[in-house]
Amino acid sequence: MQLRYVYSELGQGLRRNLTMHLAVILTLVVSLTLVGIGLMFQQQATRAADHFGNQLQITVYLCRLNDSNPVCPNPVTDAQKAEIEAVVEENPEVASYRFESGEVALEKAKELYGEELFSGDNPALTAEDMPQTIWITLEDPEQYEGITSAVQGLDGVSRVRDLREQVGPILTTITKMRTYALGTAGLLVLAALLLVANTIRLAAFARRKEIGIMRLVGASTLYIALPFLLEALVTALVSVALAGGALAAFLQFAIGDLATNLRFVPWIGWPEFRVALGAVAILGPVLTLLPTLVLTRKYLKV
Amino acid sequence: MIRFEKVTKSYPGHPHPALDNISVDVEKGEFVFLVGSSGSGKSTFLRLVLREYRPTSGRVYVAGKEINRLASWKVPRLRRDIGTVFQDFRLLPNKTVTENVAFALQVIGKSRKEIKDLVPETLEMVGLSGKGDRMPDELSGGEQQRVAVARAFVNRPMILIADEPTGNLDPTTSVGIMKLLDRINRTGTTVVMATHDSGIVDQMRKRVIELENGHVVRDQAQGVYGHQN
Repeated sequence: MQLRYVYSELGQGLRRNLTMHLAVILTLVVSLTLVGIGLMFQQQATRAADHFGNQLQITVYLCRLNDSNPVCPNPVTDAQKAEIEAVVEENPEVASYRFESGEVALEKAKELYGEELFSGDNPALTAEDMPQTIWITLEDPEQYEGITSAVQGLDGVSRVRDLREQVGPILTTITKMRTYALGTAGLLVLAALLLVANTIRLAAFARRKEIGIMRLVGASTLYIALPFLLEALVTALVSVALAGGALAAFLQFAIGDLATNLRFVPWIGWPEFRVALGAVAILGPVLTLLPTLVLTRKYLKV
Repeated sequence: MIRFEKVTKSYPGHPHPALDNISVDVEKGEFVFLVGSSGSGKSTFLRLVLREYRPTSGRVYVAGKEINRLASWKVPRLRRDIGTVFQDFRLLPNKTVTENVAFALQVIGKSRKEIKDLVPETLEMVGLSGKGDRMPDELSGGEQQRVAVARAFVNRPMILIADEPTGNLDPTTSVGIMKLLDRINRTGTTVVMATHDSGIVDQMRKRVIELENGHVVRDQAQGVYGHQN
Protein backbone atom coordinates (compact mmCIF):
# COMPACT_ATOMS: atom_id res chain seq x y z
CA MET A 1 0.00 0.00 0.00
CA GLN A 2 1.28 3.41 -0.86
CA LEU A 3 1.25 5.48 2.28
CA ARG A 4 2.57 8.80 1.03
CA TYR A 5 -0.92 10.19 0.78
CA VAL A 6 -1.79 8.90 4.25
CA TYR A 7 1.18 10.65 5.85
CA SER A 8 0.64 13.94 4.07
CA GLU A 9 -3.04 13.77 5.02
CA LEU A 10 -2.06 13.05 8.61
CA GLY A 11 0.09 16.17 8.82
CA GLN A 12 -2.54 18.25 7.09
CA GLY A 13 -5.31 16.91 9.30
CA LEU A 14 -3.39 17.60 12.48
CA ARG A 15 -2.71 21.17 11.38
CA ARG A 16 -6.19 21.80 10.03
CA ASN A 17 -7.93 20.82 13.24
CA LEU A 18 -5.24 22.01 15.59
CA THR A 19 -7.59 23.63 18.10
CA MET A 20 -9.84 20.58 18.23
CA HIS A 21 -6.85 18.31 18.65
CA LEU A 22 -5.55 20.49 21.46
CA ALA A 23 -8.95 20.32 23.16
CA VAL A 24 -8.95 16.53 22.81
CA ILE A 25 -5.41 16.28 24.12
CA LEU A 26 -6.04 18.53 27.12
CA THR A 27 -9.20 16.69 28.09
CA LEU A 28 -7.51 13.36 27.61
CA VAL A 29 -4.46 14.37 29.62
CA VAL A 30 -6.59 15.44 32.56
CA SER A 31 -8.85 12.40 32.42
CA LEU A 32 -5.99 9.95 31.93
CA THR A 33 -4.08 11.57 34.79
CA LEU A 34 -7.10 11.23 37.04
CA VAL A 35 -7.55 7.61 36.01
CA GLY A 36 -3.88 7.03 36.78
CA ILE A 37 -4.17 8.74 40.16
CA GLY A 38 -7.27 6.71 40.91
CA LEU A 39 -5.40 3.53 40.10
CA MET A 40 -2.46 4.60 42.24
CA PHE A 41 -4.79 5.31 45.16
CA GLN A 42 -6.39 1.95 44.57
CA GLN A 43 -3.02 0.28 44.89
CA GLN A 44 -2.21 2.47 47.87
CA ALA A 45 -5.38 1.30 49.59
CA THR A 46 -4.52 -2.33 48.85
CA ARG A 47 -1.00 -1.87 50.13
CA ALA A 48 -2.11 -0.19 53.32
CA ALA A 49 -4.79 -2.82 53.84
CA ASP A 50 -2.27 -5.62 53.28
CA HIS A 51 -0.01 -4.07 55.83
CA PHE A 52 -2.50 -3.18 58.50
CA GLY A 53 -5.23 -5.61 57.75
CA ASN A 54 -8.47 -4.26 56.48
CA GLN A 55 -10.99 -2.34 58.46
CA LEU A 56 -12.86 -5.40 59.65
CA GLN A 57 -9.85 -6.66 61.52
CA ILE A 58 -8.67 -6.32 65.06
CA THR A 59 -5.22 -7.38 66.16
CA VAL A 60 -4.41 -9.27 69.34
CA TYR A 61 -0.84 -8.73 70.48
CA LEU A 62 0.57 -11.67 72.43
CA CYS A 63 3.15 -11.25 75.18
CA ARG A 64 6.73 -11.14 73.98
CA LEU A 65 10.09 -11.37 75.66
CA ASN A 66 10.72 -8.38 77.91
CA ASP A 67 7.21 -7.09 77.24
CA SER A 68 6.78 -3.60 78.70
CA ASN A 69 3.19 -4.46 79.61
CA PRO A 70 2.97 -5.55 83.30
CA VAL A 71 0.38 -8.26 82.45
CA CYS A 72 3.13 -10.03 80.53
CA PRO A 73 5.77 -11.31 82.92
CA ASN A 74 6.79 -14.00 80.42
CA PRO A 75 6.48 -14.53 76.68
CA VAL A 76 3.32 -16.31 75.60
CA THR A 77 3.47 -20.11 75.87
CA ASP A 78 2.06 -22.64 73.45
CA ALA A 79 -0.58 -23.67 75.99
CA GLN A 80 -1.70 -20.05 76.40
CA LYS A 81 -1.82 -19.65 72.65
CA ALA A 82 -4.02 -22.74 72.36
CA GLU A 83 -6.38 -21.36 74.98
CA ILE A 84 -6.59 -17.96 73.30
CA GLU A 85 -7.19 -19.67 69.97
CA ALA A 86 -10.04 -21.67 71.51
CA VAL A 87 -11.70 -18.48 72.77
CA VAL A 88 -11.35 -16.80 69.37
CA GLU A 89 -12.59 -19.92 67.62
CA GLU A 90 -15.79 -20.07 69.68
CA ASN A 91 -16.66 -16.39 69.47
CA PRO A 92 -19.62 -15.79 67.10
CA GLU A 93 -18.35 -12.31 66.14
CA VAL A 94 -15.26 -13.80 64.53
CA ALA A 95 -15.39 -14.52 60.81
CA SER A 96 -11.82 -15.76 60.52
CA TYR A 97 -8.44 -15.34 62.14
CA ARG A 98 -4.78 -16.04 61.53
CA PHE A 99 -1.57 -16.04 63.50
CA GLU A 100 1.32 -13.85 62.49
CA SER A 101 4.79 -14.67 63.74
CA GLY A 102 7.42 -12.23 64.96
CA GLU A 103 9.41 -12.91 61.76
CA VAL A 104 6.57 -11.71 59.56
CA ALA A 105 6.14 -8.63 61.76
CA LEU A 106 9.86 -7.94 61.43
CA GLU A 107 9.62 -8.19 57.63
CA LYS A 108 6.86 -5.61 57.64
CA ALA A 109 8.94 -3.29 59.81
CA LYS A 110 11.89 -3.71 57.42
CA GLU A 111 9.66 -2.77 54.53
CA LEU A 112 8.68 0.48 56.26
CA TYR A 113 11.97 1.59 57.78
CA GLY A 114 14.54 -0.03 55.55
CA GLU A 115 16.66 -3.15 55.77
CA GLU A 116 19.74 -1.45 57.27
CA LEU A 117 18.20 -0.82 60.67
CA PHE A 118 17.65 -4.53 61.23
CA SER A 119 20.87 -6.06 59.97
CA GLY A 120 24.44 -6.08 61.14
CA ASP A 121 25.89 -6.85 64.54
CA ASN A 122 23.63 -4.60 66.51
CA PRO A 123 20.18 -4.55 64.94
CA ALA A 124 17.52 -2.25 66.32
CA LEU A 125 15.06 -5.09 66.55
CA THR A 126 15.08 -8.84 65.98
CA ALA A 127 12.22 -11.25 65.39
CA GLU A 128 12.28 -12.02 69.11
CA ASP A 129 11.45 -8.40 69.87
CA MET A 130 8.44 -8.42 67.62
CA PRO A 131 5.20 -9.62 69.21
CA GLN A 132 3.29 -12.54 67.78
CA THR A 133 -0.18 -11.45 66.75
CA ILE A 134 -3.58 -12.86 65.94
CA TRP A 135 -5.42 -11.02 63.17
CA ILE A 136 -9.13 -11.41 63.62
CA THR A 137 -11.59 -10.58 60.88
CA LEU A 138 -15.01 -9.73 62.27
CA GLU A 139 -18.38 -10.78 60.94
CA ASP A 140 -19.65 -7.27 61.47
CA PRO A 141 -17.16 -4.44 62.00
CA GLU A 142 -19.52 -2.80 64.49
CA GLN A 143 -19.62 -5.90 66.69
CA TYR A 144 -16.17 -5.97 68.19
CA GLU A 145 -16.70 -5.38 71.90
CA GLY A 146 -17.56 -8.99 72.69
CA ILE A 147 -14.39 -10.46 71.24
CA THR A 148 -12.25 -7.62 72.60
CA SER A 149 -13.42 -8.18 76.17
CA ALA A 150 -13.30 -11.97 75.78
CA VAL A 151 -9.66 -11.94 74.72
CA GLN A 152 -8.47 -9.05 76.83
CA GLY A 153 -7.27 -10.34 80.18
CA LEU A 154 -6.46 -13.85 79.00
CA ASP A 155 -3.03 -15.03 80.01
CA GLY A 156 -0.51 -14.33 77.30
CA VAL A 157 -2.44 -11.43 75.78
CA SER A 158 -0.61 -8.11 75.93
CA ARG A 159 -3.19 -5.87 74.34
CA VAL A 160 -5.93 -5.76 71.72
CA ARG A 161 -5.79 -3.16 69.03
CA ASP A 162 -8.82 -2.17 67.08
CA LEU A 163 -7.29 -1.13 63.77
CA ARG A 164 -10.29 0.82 62.77
CA GLU A 165 -9.36 3.64 65.08
CA GLN A 166 -5.90 4.13 63.60
CA VAL A 167 -5.94 2.95 60.06
CA GLY A 168 -9.63 3.41 59.39
CA PRO A 169 -9.44 7.15 58.67
CA ILE A 170 -6.40 6.73 56.42
CA LEU A 171 -7.99 3.92 54.47
CA THR A 172 -11.26 5.82 54.22
CA THR A 173 -9.47 8.90 52.92
CA ILE A 174 -7.51 6.92 50.36
CA THR A 175 -10.62 5.10 49.21
CA LYS A 176 -12.55 8.37 48.96
CA MET A 177 -9.79 10.01 46.95
CA ARG A 178 -9.75 7.01 44.64
CA THR A 179 -13.50 7.28 44.14
CA TYR A 180 -13.37 11.02 43.49
CA ALA A 181 -10.49 10.64 41.06
CA LEU A 182 -12.13 7.83 39.11
CA GLY A 183 -15.55 9.52 39.19
CA THR A 184 -14.17 12.79 37.83
CA ALA A 185 -12.12 10.82 35.33
CA GLY A 186 -15.30 9.09 34.16
CA LEU A 187 -16.96 12.42 33.39
CA LEU A 188 -13.89 13.70 31.61
CA VAL A 189 -13.57 10.50 29.62
CA LEU A 190 -17.10 11.11 28.41
CA ALA A 191 -16.15 14.67 27.46
CA ALA A 192 -13.07 13.35 25.65
CA LEU A 193 -15.16 10.84 23.70
CA LEU A 194 -17.55 13.57 22.60
CA LEU A 195 -14.66 15.80 21.56
CA VAL A 196 -13.07 12.98 19.57
CA ALA A 197 -16.39 12.34 17.86
CA ASN A 198 -16.75 16.01 17.01
CA THR A 199 -13.21 16.22 15.68
CA ILE A 200 -13.83 13.30 13.35
CA ARG A 201 -17.05 14.84 12.12
CA LEU A 202 -15.22 18.08 11.31
CA ALA A 203 -12.32 16.24 9.70
CA ALA A 204 -14.65 14.09 7.61
CA PHE A 205 -16.45 17.24 6.51
CA ALA A 206 -13.21 19.02 5.64
CA ARG A 207 -12.13 16.04 3.56
CA ARG A 208 -15.48 15.19 2.03
CA LYS A 209 -14.26 15.89 -1.52
CA GLU A 210 -11.21 13.68 -1.19
CA ILE A 211 -13.24 11.00 0.53
CA GLY A 212 -15.89 11.09 -2.18
CA ILE A 213 -13.26 10.66 -4.88
CA MET A 214 -11.45 7.93 -2.96
CA ARG A 215 -14.69 5.99 -2.68
CA LEU A 216 -15.41 6.41 -6.37
CA VAL A 217 -12.03 5.23 -7.56
CA GLY A 218 -12.17 2.23 -5.24
CA ALA A 219 -9.89 3.07 -2.31
CA SER A 220 -10.44 0.57 0.47
CA THR A 221 -12.31 1.65 3.56
CA LEU A 222 -9.22 1.10 5.66
CA TYR A 223 -7.18 3.32 3.38
CA ILE A 224 -9.77 6.08 3.65
CA ALA A 225 -10.01 5.69 7.41
CA LEU A 226 -6.26 5.45 7.97
CA PRO A 227 -5.50 9.19 8.26
CA PHE A 228 -8.30 9.45 10.81
CA LEU A 229 -7.01 6.50 12.80
CA LEU A 230 -3.44 7.82 12.73
CA GLU A 231 -4.62 11.24 13.87
CA ALA A 232 -6.45 9.57 16.73
CA LEU A 233 -3.36 7.58 17.58
CA VAL A 234 -1.11 10.64 17.57
CA THR A 235 -3.40 12.60 19.88
CA ALA A 236 -3.64 9.55 22.15
CA LEU A 237 0.13 9.08 22.33
CA VAL A 238 0.75 12.76 23.07
CA SER A 239 -1.92 12.61 25.78
CA VAL A 240 -0.50 9.44 27.31
CA ALA A 241 3.00 10.95 27.38
CA LEU A 242 1.76 14.12 29.10
CA ALA A 243 -0.42 12.17 31.53
CA GLY A 244 2.57 9.94 32.32
CA GLY A 245 4.59 13.03 33.18
CA ALA A 246 1.79 14.33 35.39
CA LEU A 247 1.53 10.98 37.18
CA ALA A 248 5.29 10.86 37.75
CA ALA A 249 5.12 14.36 39.20
CA PHE A 250 2.20 13.32 41.39
CA LEU A 251 4.17 10.36 42.73
CA GLN A 252 7.34 12.35 43.20
CA PHE A 253 5.84 15.37 44.91
CA ALA A 254 2.44 14.54 46.41
CA ILE A 255 3.06 10.96 47.49
CA GLY A 256 6.73 11.73 48.19
CA ASP A 257 5.62 14.45 50.59
CA LEU A 258 3.17 12.14 52.34
CA ALA A 259 5.79 9.42 52.57
CA THR A 260 8.19 11.75 54.35
CA ASN A 261 5.58 12.95 56.81
CA LEU A 262 3.63 9.73 57.45
CA ARG A 263 6.27 7.07 57.69
CA PHE A 264 4.14 4.44 59.40
CA VAL A 265 2.09 3.84 56.25
CA PRO A 266 3.74 1.91 53.40
CA TRP A 267 3.45 4.27 50.43
CA ILE A 268 3.34 3.31 46.78
CA GLY A 269 6.35 3.86 44.55
CA TRP A 270 7.55 3.43 40.96
CA PRO A 271 6.25 -0.14 40.50
CA GLU A 272 2.71 1.09 41.18
CA PHE A 273 3.35 4.07 38.92
CA ARG A 274 4.25 1.67 36.14
CA VAL A 275 0.99 -0.23 36.60
CA ALA A 276 -0.99 3.02 36.43
CA LEU A 277 1.01 4.20 33.41
CA GLY A 278 0.42 0.88 31.67
CA ALA A 279 -3.33 1.15 32.18
CA VAL A 280 -3.32 4.77 30.97
CA ALA A 281 -1.20 3.84 27.94
CA ILE A 282 -3.83 1.28 26.94
CA LEU A 283 -6.83 3.42 27.82
CA GLY A 284 -5.64 6.51 25.89
CA PRO A 285 -5.48 4.92 22.43
CA VAL A 286 -8.67 2.94 23.12
CA LEU A 287 -10.51 6.16 23.95
CA THR A 288 -9.56 7.81 20.68
CA LEU A 289 -9.42 4.82 18.33
CA LEU A 290 -12.72 3.27 19.35
CA PRO A 291 -14.92 6.28 18.52
CA THR A 292 -12.83 6.87 15.39
CA LEU A 293 -13.46 3.33 14.18
CA VAL A 294 -17.16 3.56 14.90
CA LEU A 295 -17.60 7.00 13.32
CA THR A 296 -15.44 6.47 10.26
CA ARG A 297 -17.67 3.49 9.54
CA LYS A 298 -20.61 5.85 9.75
CA TYR A 299 -19.20 8.82 7.84
CA LEU A 300 -17.10 6.98 5.29
CA LYS A 301 -19.55 4.27 4.39
CA VAL A 302 -18.91 2.84 0.92
CA MET B 1 -20.90 -6.10 -18.80
CA ILE B 2 -23.92 -4.53 -17.08
CA ARG B 3 -27.13 -6.49 -16.67
CA PHE B 4 -30.30 -5.42 -14.86
CA GLU B 5 -32.82 -8.22 -14.29
CA LYS B 6 -36.27 -7.02 -13.23
CA VAL B 7 -34.71 -4.38 -11.03
CA THR B 8 -36.84 -2.23 -8.77
CA LYS B 9 -35.39 0.44 -6.52
CA SER B 10 -37.58 2.28 -4.04
CA TYR B 11 -36.46 4.96 -1.64
CA PRO B 12 -37.97 5.11 1.82
CA GLY B 13 -40.64 7.81 2.02
CA HIS B 14 -41.29 7.82 -1.72
CA PRO B 15 -44.51 6.17 -2.91
CA HIS B 16 -43.28 5.45 -6.45
CA PRO B 17 -40.11 3.45 -7.08
CA ALA B 18 -37.26 5.29 -8.82
CA LEU B 19 -36.78 2.26 -11.05
CA ASP B 20 -39.70 -0.07 -11.64
CA ASN B 21 -38.99 -3.61 -12.78
CA ILE B 22 -36.50 -2.77 -15.49
CA SER B 23 -34.35 -5.22 -17.43
CA VAL B 24 -31.41 -3.92 -19.44
CA ASP B 25 -28.35 -5.60 -20.89
CA VAL B 26 -25.24 -3.65 -21.86
CA GLU B 27 -22.57 -5.63 -23.70
CA LYS B 28 -18.86 -5.23 -23.29
CA GLY B 29 -17.56 -2.37 -25.41
CA GLU B 30 -20.97 -0.77 -25.99
CA PHE B 31 -21.63 2.96 -25.86
CA VAL B 32 -25.01 3.69 -24.31
CA PHE B 33 -26.84 6.96 -23.77
CA LEU B 34 -29.23 7.06 -20.86
CA VAL B 35 -31.82 9.75 -21.49
CA GLY B 36 -34.95 10.95 -19.77
CA SER B 37 -36.21 13.91 -17.80
CA SER B 38 -35.03 14.70 -14.29
CA GLY B 39 -36.37 12.15 -11.84
CA SER B 40 -36.81 9.52 -14.55
CA GLY B 41 -34.35 7.19 -12.78
CA LYS B 42 -31.08 7.83 -14.66
CA SER B 43 -29.08 8.65 -11.55
CA THR B 44 -30.52 5.70 -9.68
CA PHE B 45 -29.48 3.47 -12.56
CA LEU B 46 -25.89 4.76 -12.41
CA ARG B 47 -25.76 4.50 -8.63
CA LEU B 48 -26.87 0.90 -8.76
CA VAL B 49 -24.05 0.15 -11.20
CA LEU B 50 -21.60 1.80 -8.79
CA ARG B 51 -23.14 -0.19 -5.94
CA GLU B 52 -23.86 2.95 -3.99
CA TYR B 53 -27.23 1.32 -3.47
CA ARG B 54 -28.54 -2.19 -3.62
CA PRO B 55 -31.71 -2.84 -5.60
CA THR B 56 -34.95 -3.30 -3.65
CA SER B 57 -35.68 -6.34 -5.81
CA GLY B 58 -34.23 -7.91 -8.92
CA ARG B 59 -30.59 -8.47 -9.76
CA VAL B 60 -27.81 -6.22 -10.98
CA TYR B 61 -24.67 -7.71 -12.53
CA VAL B 62 -21.66 -5.50 -13.11
CA ALA B 63 -18.41 -6.78 -14.62
CA GLY B 64 -19.50 -10.32 -13.90
CA LYS B 65 -20.36 -9.72 -10.26
CA GLU B 66 -23.82 -9.79 -8.78
CA ILE B 67 -23.82 -6.61 -6.77
CA ASN B 68 -26.75 -7.61 -4.54
CA ARG B 69 -24.54 -10.25 -3.03
CA LEU B 70 -21.31 -8.31 -3.08
CA ALA B 71 -19.93 -7.84 0.42
CA SER B 72 -19.26 -4.24 1.44
CA TRP B 73 -15.54 -4.81 1.69
CA LYS B 74 -15.45 -6.01 -1.93
CA VAL B 75 -17.13 -2.86 -3.25
CA PRO B 76 -13.82 -0.93 -3.61
CA ARG B 77 -12.53 -3.70 -5.94
CA LEU B 78 -15.64 -3.39 -8.07
CA ARG B 79 -15.20 0.37 -8.32
CA ARG B 80 -11.66 -0.01 -9.58
CA ASP B 81 -13.22 -1.51 -12.69
CA ILE B 82 -15.49 1.50 -13.14
CA GLY B 83 -14.42 5.04 -13.98
CA THR B 84 -16.80 7.87 -13.16
CA VAL B 85 -17.18 11.36 -14.60
CA PHE B 86 -19.60 13.98 -13.29
CA GLN B 87 -21.15 17.19 -14.48
CA ASP B 88 -19.32 19.18 -11.80
CA PHE B 89 -15.87 17.62 -12.51
CA ARG B 90 -15.14 16.99 -8.80
CA LEU B 91 -11.44 17.83 -8.97
CA LEU B 92 -9.41 18.52 -5.85
CA PRO B 93 -8.80 22.28 -5.99
CA ASN B 94 -5.55 22.18 -4.00
CA LYS B 95 -3.87 19.65 -6.28
CA THR B 96 -2.35 20.09 -9.72
CA VAL B 97 -3.70 18.33 -12.79
CA THR B 98 -1.07 15.61 -12.49
CA GLU B 99 -1.72 15.19 -8.77
CA ASN B 100 -5.45 14.96 -9.34
CA VAL B 101 -5.01 12.14 -11.83
CA ALA B 102 -2.29 10.45 -9.77
CA PHE B 103 -4.51 10.61 -6.67
CA ALA B 104 -6.85 8.01 -8.17
CA LEU B 105 -3.92 5.61 -8.49
CA GLN B 106 -2.25 6.45 -5.18
CA VAL B 107 -5.29 5.70 -3.11
CA ILE B 108 -5.70 2.25 -4.61
CA GLY B 109 -2.09 1.47 -3.86
CA LYS B 110 -0.42 1.66 -7.28
CA SER B 111 3.34 1.88 -7.25
CA ARG B 112 5.20 5.10 -7.90
CA LYS B 113 6.51 3.70 -11.14
CA GLU B 114 3.08 2.78 -12.47
CA ILE B 115 1.85 6.26 -11.57
CA LYS B 116 4.81 7.87 -13.31
CA ASP B 117 4.09 5.88 -16.47
CA LEU B 118 0.31 6.01 -16.55
CA VAL B 119 -0.43 9.63 -15.60
CA PRO B 120 1.47 11.44 -18.41
CA GLU B 121 0.28 8.86 -20.91
CA THR B 122 -3.32 9.44 -19.93
CA LEU B 123 -2.95 13.23 -19.85
CA GLU B 124 -1.59 13.07 -23.37
CA MET B 125 -4.50 10.95 -24.46
CA VAL B 126 -7.03 13.49 -23.18
CA GLY B 127 -5.07 16.32 -24.80
CA LEU B 128 -3.63 17.92 -21.68
CA SER B 129 0.08 17.18 -22.06
CA GLY B 130 2.04 20.20 -20.92
CA LYS B 131 -0.68 21.26 -18.50
CA GLY B 132 0.15 18.80 -15.75
CA ASP B 133 1.42 21.47 -13.38
CA ARG B 134 -1.63 23.72 -13.65
CA MET B 135 -4.14 24.03 -10.85
CA PRO B 136 -7.77 23.23 -11.71
CA ASP B 137 -8.87 26.86 -11.37
CA GLU B 138 -6.36 27.84 -14.06
CA LEU B 139 -8.15 25.62 -16.58
CA SER B 140 -11.26 26.11 -18.69
CA GLY B 141 -14.35 24.02 -17.96
CA GLY B 142 -13.63 21.73 -20.88
CA GLU B 143 -10.07 21.21 -19.71
CA GLN B 144 -11.23 20.48 -16.18
CA GLN B 145 -13.60 17.86 -17.53
CA ARG B 146 -10.71 16.34 -19.46
CA VAL B 147 -8.80 16.05 -16.22
CA ALA B 148 -11.81 14.31 -14.70
CA VAL B 149 -11.97 11.93 -17.66
CA ALA B 150 -8.24 11.26 -17.32
CA ARG B 151 -8.72 10.47 -13.65
CA ALA B 152 -11.62 8.14 -14.43
CA PHE B 153 -9.70 6.37 -17.18
CA VAL B 154 -6.15 6.31 -15.80
CA ASN B 155 -6.72 2.92 -14.18
CA ARG B 156 -8.04 1.54 -17.50
CA PRO B 157 -11.44 0.53 -16.12
CA MET B 158 -13.76 -1.85 -17.95
CA ILE B 159 -16.67 0.54 -17.59
CA LEU B 160 -16.84 4.33 -17.78
CA ILE B 161 -19.87 6.00 -16.27
CA ALA B 162 -20.54 9.61 -17.19
CA ASP B 163 -23.30 11.51 -15.46
CA GLU B 164 -24.12 14.59 -17.60
CA PRO B 165 -20.45 15.14 -18.44
CA THR B 166 -21.28 17.99 -20.84
CA GLY B 167 -23.92 19.61 -18.63
CA ASN B 168 -21.67 22.53 -17.68
CA LEU B 169 -19.95 22.96 -21.03
CA ASP B 170 -20.68 24.95 -24.19
CA PRO B 171 -21.56 22.96 -27.32
CA THR B 172 -18.14 23.22 -28.95
CA THR B 173 -16.34 22.06 -25.86
CA SER B 174 -18.92 19.31 -25.41
CA VAL B 175 -18.08 17.92 -28.82
CA GLY B 176 -14.46 17.65 -27.73
CA ILE B 177 -15.42 15.71 -24.61
CA MET B 178 -17.67 13.41 -26.65
CA LYS B 179 -14.82 12.69 -29.06
CA LEU B 180 -12.71 11.80 -26.07
CA LEU B 181 -15.36 9.45 -24.66
CA ASP B 182 -15.74 7.90 -28.09
CA ARG B 183 -11.98 7.29 -28.21
CA ILE B 184 -12.10 5.66 -24.82
CA ASN B 185 -15.00 3.53 -25.99
CA ARG B 186 -12.92 2.39 -28.98
CA THR B 187 -10.30 0.98 -26.60
CA GLY B 188 -12.94 -1.54 -25.55
CA THR B 189 -14.25 0.30 -22.53
CA THR B 190 -18.01 0.13 -22.02
CA VAL B 191 -19.39 3.67 -21.71
CA VAL B 192 -22.72 4.55 -20.11
CA MET B 193 -23.58 8.22 -20.28
CA ALA B 194 -26.60 9.91 -18.79
CA THR B 195 -27.42 13.13 -20.62
CA HIS B 196 -29.97 15.79 -21.48
CA ASP B 197 -27.96 16.98 -24.45
CA SER B 198 -30.10 16.09 -27.47
CA GLY B 199 -27.60 17.50 -29.95
CA ILE B 200 -24.92 15.12 -28.82
CA VAL B 201 -27.18 12.09 -28.76
CA ASP B 202 -28.51 12.81 -32.22
CA GLN B 203 -25.02 13.34 -33.57
CA MET B 204 -23.37 10.26 -32.07
CA ARG B 205 -26.00 7.74 -33.16
CA LYS B 206 -25.32 5.27 -30.41
CA ARG B 207 -27.66 3.04 -28.48
CA VAL B 208 -30.23 5.08 -26.52
CA ILE B 209 -32.09 3.87 -23.45
CA GLU B 210 -34.86 6.24 -22.42
CA LEU B 211 -36.26 6.16 -18.92
CA GLU B 212 -39.54 7.67 -17.81
CA ASN B 213 -40.88 7.42 -14.27
CA GLY B 214 -38.67 4.46 -13.59
CA HIS B 215 -39.60 2.49 -16.71
CA VAL B 216 -37.60 1.84 -19.85
CA VAL B 217 -39.79 3.39 -22.52
CA ARG B 218 -37.31 3.03 -25.37
CA ASP B 219 -34.19 1.01 -26.05
CA GLN B 220 -32.92 1.72 -29.50
CA ALA B 221 -29.71 0.95 -31.36
CA GLN B 222 -28.28 4.03 -33.12
CA GLY B 223 -31.06 6.12 -31.63
CA VAL B 224 -31.70 9.81 -31.28
CA TYR B 225 -32.66 11.89 -28.24
CA GLY B 226 -36.39 12.46 -28.85
CA HIS B 227 -39.08 9.96 -29.81
CA GLN B 228 -38.93 8.81 -33.39
CA ASN B 229 -42.27 8.53 -35.04
